[in-house]
Amino acid sequence: MTKYGWFKLVSIFLILAVLIGLCVLEDRLVVLSLDEVKRFCYEIETVAEENGGIVNGEVASLVDNLEYSWREHESALCFMVNHKSIEQLGVEIVRLKTYIDEEEPIEFFTSLEIIKHYVENFQHFMGASFHNIL
Amino acid sequence: MTYNIDMFTIVVRAIIIYLVVLFLYRLMGKRQLGQMQPFELVLTLIIADLATIPMAEVSVPVLHGIIPLLTLVLLHFILTFLSSISNKFATFLSGKPVIVINPEGLDYKALKNLNLSVDDVFEAIRGCGFFSIEQIQYAIMETNGKMSVLPKSQFAPVTVQDMKLKIDKSVIPINIINEGKIVKDNLDVAKIDENVVKDVLQKANVKKVKDVLIMTIDKNGMVYLQKFGEKYQTLQVSPLGQVQE
Repeated sequence: MTKYGWFKLVSIFLILAVLIGLCVLEDRLVVLSLDEVKRFCYEIETVAEENGGIVNGEVASLVDNLEYSWREHESALCFMVNHKSIEQLGVEIVRLKTYIDEEEPIEFFTSLEIIKHYVENFQHFMGASFHNIL
Repeated sequence: MTYNIDMFTIVVRAIIIYLVVLFLYRLMGKRQLGQMQPFELVLTLIIADLATIPMAEVSVPVLHGIIPLLTLVLLHFILTFLSSISNKFATFLSGKPVIVINPEGLDYKALKNLNLSVDDVFEAIRGCGFFSIEQIQYAIMETNGKMSVLPKSQFAPVTVQDMKLKIDKSVIPINIINEGKIVKDNLDVAKIDENVVKDVLQKANVKKVKDVLIMTIDKNGMVYLQKFGEKYQTLQVSPLGQVQE
């Protein structure tokens, strides 16, 4: 085989490896990030219910942790996922903080529901499903 | 400030996408647009379109442009490989050459199958240097959309073989000076040294190398030399490098 032939063959395998690697990496990264957000959401909900409201230090602290965690994952996700399709999550997390400050539990839980809905249905509107492929 | 950063992002993205597309085209080979098979043309059009999306849209990751490009190139290699091992698949993918003019004249049925008009055929045969169908024995529409023409014997160009002439073998002239600079790699190919070049220049009344637009030499020692802004001249060099009249 000629030099160019080898170059071509190696490139093909490299391309194949890159494609498989990126698909797997994206899947792992998305699942990991969204699972983390989901875990925080349920934890915030439980703590808020147990403490009879959102105006307490523990909820605020969890929301801060959620925001920090999301910011960390968001920057990695931006390499793989269209930024527009995940920016809503960041906006809703910031709203959670605002609703705690303004003591608006109804809006707070609405935002929390939106985040949960987004996280739980991400696979439906972004993942490799039959509907999305077609 | 944000605007400037966006612009910079677009510049960097454009460079990345350009390099990736360049690499992929190099990988696919050197076929020109007119030589492409249908599936290669489709690939080229899609690649051009895909490459612009992440360039212009900052919210779209560059990978969203690169991944489909890589996928398409991979698909291209798979199709090319399958074409090379199966003639049936190659025919399915690229079609097969169709004879549109035969000794009986135009094959109207073939033209209709190819969605070609008589005017298209005339245009194509004129492109091959023929202005009358009568001059043509066969015309074949190739799978890449080009027309190949076999003229009737009486209209075929005369060849050296027809004339039964004895001529020297064709040789490729080697570029020795290009726009005022000696192409040093080519001196070895031509088996001459810089002294021969100097001798040639002296004989041609050229004082400096930088005055020469082009100088070539072939295997028979024939030199073609043209100074900037002047008419060309030819000289003969012996294998020993001596300049002859």
